Amino acid sequence: MGSADPSRLRPRFLAAAAFLAAGALLLTPPSALAQQARTYTIQGVVRDSSSGEPLQGVSVQLVGTARGGLTNESGRYEFEVTTEPGTYTLRLRRIGRATVRRPVRLGGDESVRVDAVRLRQTAVELEEMVVTTGTGAAVEKQEVGNTIEVISGEEVEATPGADALDRALQGKVTGAAINATTGQAGGGTSVRLRGTSSILGSAEPLYVIDGLIVDNSSTALISVGANAGRGNVSASNRISDLVAGDIERVEVLKGAAAAALYGSRASSGVVKIFTEEGQPGLDVTLRQEFTTSATPNRYDLLQFPRAGLADVLFGPADSVGQRVERFDVQDRVFRRPVGTSTVLTVSGGSGEGTSFFLSGSYRDQPGIVESNSSEKMGGRLKVTSSLTPDLSVTGTFSYVTTDRSFLPAGEQVEGALTNVIFTPTSFDFRFDENLGRFPRSPILGPNPLAVIEQFEADQETRRLLASFQTRFRPTDRLTLRYTAGLDDGRLESRSFQPRGSFSASFSGFVANPIRMSRQFNNDFTATYEQPAAEWLTLVHSAGFRSTWDRTEVVRSSAREIPPFRDLVGGASQFASQAISQFRTVGGWLQERARIEDRLFLTGGLNVEASSAFGEEERLQYFPRASLSYVISREPFWTSDLVSSLRLRAAYGESGGQPPDPFARFQTFTNLSFAGRSGLIQSTRSGNPELEPERQEEYELGLEAGLLDDRAQLEFTYYDQTTKRLVLPVDEALSRGVETQFRNVGRVNNKGVEAALRTVNVQQGDFTWRSRLSLSHNENTVTDLRTRVDTLLFGFGGPFSNAVVEGQPVGAFYGTLTARDEDGDPVIDPDTGMPKRARNPDGSLKRTILGNPNPDLKASFRNSFDLGDRLSASVLFEGRFGNDVANLSRRIMEFFGTDAGVKKEIQRAIERKENPDLQPIQIALNGALIGNFGRYIEDGDYVKLRELALSYTFGRGVADLFGAESLSVRVAGRNVVTFTDYSGLDPEINMFGANTVAQGMDFATTPVPRQFVASASLSF
Amino acid sequence: MRRLASGSRTRGRRAGLVAVLLLFLLPAAACELGIENPNNPTEEETLSDPNGLVALAVGVQGIYATNVDEFVTAPALVTDEWGTGTRSLPSFRTLFLTGPENEVDRSFAVVEDPWAAGYRVVRGANDLIQQVPDSRLPAGLQAGILSVARLFKAMAFGTLIEQYEQIPLDIEQDAPEFRSREAVLSEVLSLLQGARSDLEGADLGLTRRRVLGEGLDLPNTINAMLARYNLIAGNMEAAVAAANRVEPDALSELTYTSTSRNPIQVLQFRAEQVKALHSWTQEAEAGDGRVAYWVDEDAQPQEGNPADSLLVPLERYESPTASFPLYLPDEMNLIRAEAFTRMGDFAGAREEINAVRSEESSPVDEPVADLDPLPVDSLDTEQELLEQIAHERRYELYSQGLRWGDARRLGEGVTTETTLDFLPIPEQECVANPNSPCP
Repeated sequence: MGSADPSRLRPRFLAAAAFLAAGALLLTPPSALAQQARTYTIQGVVRDSSSGEPLQGVSVQLVGTARGGLTNESGRYEFEVTTEPGTYTLRLRRIGRATVRRPVRLGGDESVRVDAVRLRQTAVELEEMVVTTGTGAAVEKQEVGNTIEVISGEEVEATPGADALDRALQGKVTGAAINATTGQAGGGTSVRLRGTSSILGSAEPLYVIDGLIVDNSSTALISVGANAGRGNVSASNRISDLVAGDIERVEVLKGAAAAALYGSRASSGVVKIFTEEGQPGLDVTLRQEFTTSATPNRYDLLQFPRAGLADVLFGPADSVGQRVERFDVQDRVFRRPVGTSTVLTVSGGSGEGTSFFLSGSYRDQPGIVESNSSEKMGGRLKVTSSLTPDLSVTGTFSYVTTDRSFLPAGEQVEGALTNVIFTPTSFDFRFDENLGRFPRSPILGPNPLAVIEQFEADQETRRLLASFQTRFRPTDRLTLRYTAGLDDGRLESRSFQPRGSFSASFSGFVANPIRMSRQFNNDFTATYEQPAAEWLTLVHSAGFRSTWDRTEVVRSSAREIPPFRDLVGGASQFASQAISQFRTVGGWLQERARIEDRLFLTGGLNVEASSAFGEEERLQYFPRASLSYVISREPFWTSDLVSSLRLRAAYGESGGQPPDPFARFQTFTNLSFAGRSGLIQSTRSGNPELEPERQEEYELGLEAGLLDDRAQLEFTYYDQTTKRLVLPVDEALSRGVETQFRNVGRVNNKGVEAALRTVNVQQGDFTWRSRLSLSHNENTVTDLRTRVDTLLFGFGGPFSNAVVEGQPVGAFYGTLTARDEDGDPVIDPDTGMPKRARNPDGSLKRTILGNPNPDLKASFRNSFDLGDRLSASVLFEGRFGNDVANLSRRIMEFFGTDAGVKKEIQRAIERKENPDLQPIQIALNGALIGNFGRYIEDGDYVKLRELALSYTFGRGVADLFGAESLSVRVAGRNVVTFTDYSGLDPEINMFGANTVAQGMDFATTPVPRQFVASASLSF
Repeated sequence: MRRLASGSRTRGRRAGLVAVLLLFLLPAAACELGIENPNNPTEEETLSDPNGLVALAVGVQGIYATNVDEFVTAPALVTDEWGTGTRSLPSFRTLFLTGPENEVDRSFAVVEDPWAAGYRVVRGANDLIQQVPDSRLPAGLQAGILSVARLFKAMAFGTLIEQYEQIPLDIEQDAPEFRSREAVLSEVLSLLQGARSDLEGADLGLTRRRVLGEGLDLPNTINAMLARYNLIAGNMEAAVAAANRVEPDALSELTYTSTSRNPIQVLQFRAEQVKALHSWTQEAEAGDGRVAYWVDEDAQPQEGNPADSLLVPLERYESPTASFPLYLPDEMNLIRAEAFTRMGDFAGAREEINAVRSEESSPVDEPVADLDPLPVDSLDTEQELLEQIAHERRYELYSQGLRWGDARRLGEGVTTETTLDFLPIPEQECVANPNSPCP
């Protein structure tokens, strides 16, 4: 299936699908409803197989009627069904338990009591319900031919210290690289599912919450982390605004095969989030949490009390070797704060079809660096009501506000840690009473203590998410759904740099940019289930989707600001406004065939148009097909070792939007001169023929239940290629333009994902489960087909993340140390430092130096439960084979702040060297700064990501608080890191979620080590 | 999907419902995909509209003005005008310093930016030269805009050929061909002649009101540039004739506002990439009034780092709204002096030199030497005259992007050793233009 040529397949496929769908509707007898229907009440109880305790939250369904219920806390269920008498199957299932089917006879008695059912723990979850592919209709996992990772809400909420949803997924999704981009509180997260599949487009997945497509941009309004002009990334991404609570489950669709129905926005995968609904009765839960954080690491700064060259040039020393006092200003930069979080949820339902879920949360998280904090407040209301048995509506509203203060960092002249590593440790940063101000750093920018005390770099977000869903089932076979969603966001940033902070003549800077975004999506789906024959059920679905995004950025800033004022004002003011908007409209068809209970075939086609492309390229088709075969249900299957086996295959295509929705236009930009408004050609020429990036993916896989389903092995091979990458192709500068977006090149991701879930011990009350996941991905850029085979991102100059044909996206590229035939560095006799490698023509040699993408990602989780009372879990996560550019060390060696410089100072003293003060050589090892290869390090790490222990008290203790239950929990996050990396943290990236610029560590705040204590009361 | 919908409409109630919904929803949203870009006008809009062309004529001057630092930085750093300090980026240092650790790289911004800026000016000027004659603008304004376009195109080529050994002229080609210095200078002169002839039909008042930057004197600038580039091209008589046409007490400058700031001010004071070399002050004649005009004479170099001890701050561009002179009036005297010297008229040359030296005051904002005239016996050989011209140019025309060319033209008379002969051709041009003569 994967080898089929999609372009030839398309017309026939479309015709066949349309025919099937039309035929199905024609053939359905309108009188399919039962004729002698009676109303039965079905009730029973479900218990745990080993402990005999009642099980709550078990889904009970009468197969073929779409009627059912959930068990309550005493394990009981009861529901009504109107149907004709006969023998039916009752299906009972719950996540983590083996599904049980019980025959039920509905006869003369309208009250039916089912014998108690015991569910045992299992590693196999074939029949888990998932909602996939945007069809809106729930299907069982076994019917879908592609991998869908499901993470339960409990698991997300149990993540210690994760105040953002995306970060809570760390270590829980096989094949995903989920990295914190900075360790500052309120900082962002970068999520790569199956590797980087674009270059300029976003490589971050599409997020969909209850059917609403939400904004996850990370546009930088002010420069906080990396230089906005280079990386253009913000310290946070917009998903991190949302509260990581109230989640029922998260489904992760990793590539085009699964995500094709999201069309041109899904080439980096889709993360679907379903929020909790109220259950009958009334439940009030209060959770209080305290978090302490600390930096895992500090820079090893030079504390040797004798002066080096840097101390002579910039510090108080007069000659090399003289005694100097040294300082470690990190004591004033890092701190150990305590954060709090409070969550109150009130949920309930009338039992008659109306339920509600109301929650409010407040989280205050100070960062491990001074003046960094994140305060998040949110409320959410979800109301579901069945107006009639056929028609239900759900409305969800949530409002979140986030106030963040960042400490400037990274490749920024005002970065606090940046100035720490740039300035000789003999320099005293403390407030100078005589000067009446903080002394200025002699090297780079302002004093880090002044940055902490006086600078501001804030971000405030306000998000209103509202969605409305309605479901109409005119018959048991036809379901119509409509979802409308609105994400209305406002991001206000603020940057303030006081007068005189950089130099005496610096007149101050203040900026207050505002970004207003609105995303609206509109989905309609119809699903019709047709029992075509005894062995065959056809499910026809069709849908329609439109999305509309509008973003407006208004910037105001001022220089020459007056004293005592920190709002925008002053002698020199700037303002600008920019609007970006785009729309997509599309429709789709999907056919699914269930053959017996073991073979499932799906085919679909998505047709979509986007305003970002010219009329000629506007209409795009995205086909998909998948097959799932539960071979172990064949009568011939009798293996004891392999108790269940499913084989699957899937193919799909999806697309990506261009980096700028207006890339097709050739424009002129505003340029005023001498008070007159003028226009000049944009440096980027427009391309009306631009097409969307298009991803084709196929995957093959299997799930095997072993040893009576005590273990489940999941294995997937995938191969995805993104074609027609949209890249800025350099033009000859002499033509008066610099670049043009063109469709060139491909990125291929190929890899395997494996997960092994086991129930290791299940004895009496005690259960021990593990989950091991491993994934390998190979990323290659091919067919760049430009005259340029190397595109540089991130830093320019002698080093960069680059896009080079035949190499992975973002490979490190630059200068390196010259080595002799034996592989030893060639030392320059004048400086005693290694020389840089050169080409035969004498120019500096540049080459591929490393790869920021890991070869192997692994996570290993163990959880232990003792009855319902005590549970513990440990999660390790590791990355192997990736490199990190330790640019902090580069600066520390150059400016002589690294502890290792001690050796050079000693050597200079011993040899009584009186170094000839070259105008430019600021440290003895100045020759190293242009040698990028020297600073590429192994970034392998294993982190003890999560460690948790929780205990639920018995009724007696809970009663003391007037509560029904009380549980307490202690947990740790990022407790230990095992790595050879010499910097602070191999996980962070100064360029945030940037698609190409990855693995750059430059005075970026490390991810904190956190300990959490929490208590939860239920009433 | 439409086929499915229309085929089923007449059958079955449920199918009808689906069809109605689909039919209702599809067309409702299928429109409105031709979203226009609200941020910027398109090329078509700009070039087909008279107001667009006027705005482009402003933009062409503006792009030259906002990049004027690119046209003076390399000439000042490779000669003895400016230096780099500890806060300078390594790329700036490579222009100032020599040695294996200070190699100029083709990919450096200091190499690419002057090139890119110059060709943006040329591109805009080309659009004007092509579109204005067919526009609905009044004829007098058309001629005025064409004159501005030709002048700025000529200045862009002129400043580029002072920094790069060879450059493309016809940029409408897919892969522009590189042309020799002679060909470029001849194109510059022919553009300036064209600008001069355009003036005849131009409505200067209207051009000033709608297009010209405040402070920019079009006729004098065209003549001054004709004088400058005729001298460089070795056309001595033409240089003298053009210099004679320039009014002595007129200024022509690029002006800046607090929001579109003088880029040299930004480079020197905000970014602190470059400063004046202290040696320039120290090597001046005692009492030369021009020193204090250009640099902060009283400032002492920063102690500590030897790199910084060479530098003093500039005075002339200290304010963000400081103007940049397109030429200085006394450059005309020095052009005539040089041409007279080359033509053998030493007395004429001496007179011009002494006129510059003995200037005591000026009605306009220009450097004033207020020095004693030099006696005949110290200026009676070609060698002496050229050395003196080089010296006067050094202090009169400081940081105007001319010193590199002086070093080439006046040879030994110039007391500077340039760190580079020319900037290399930028990396991006090498890679994207198959006709670029890169190794």
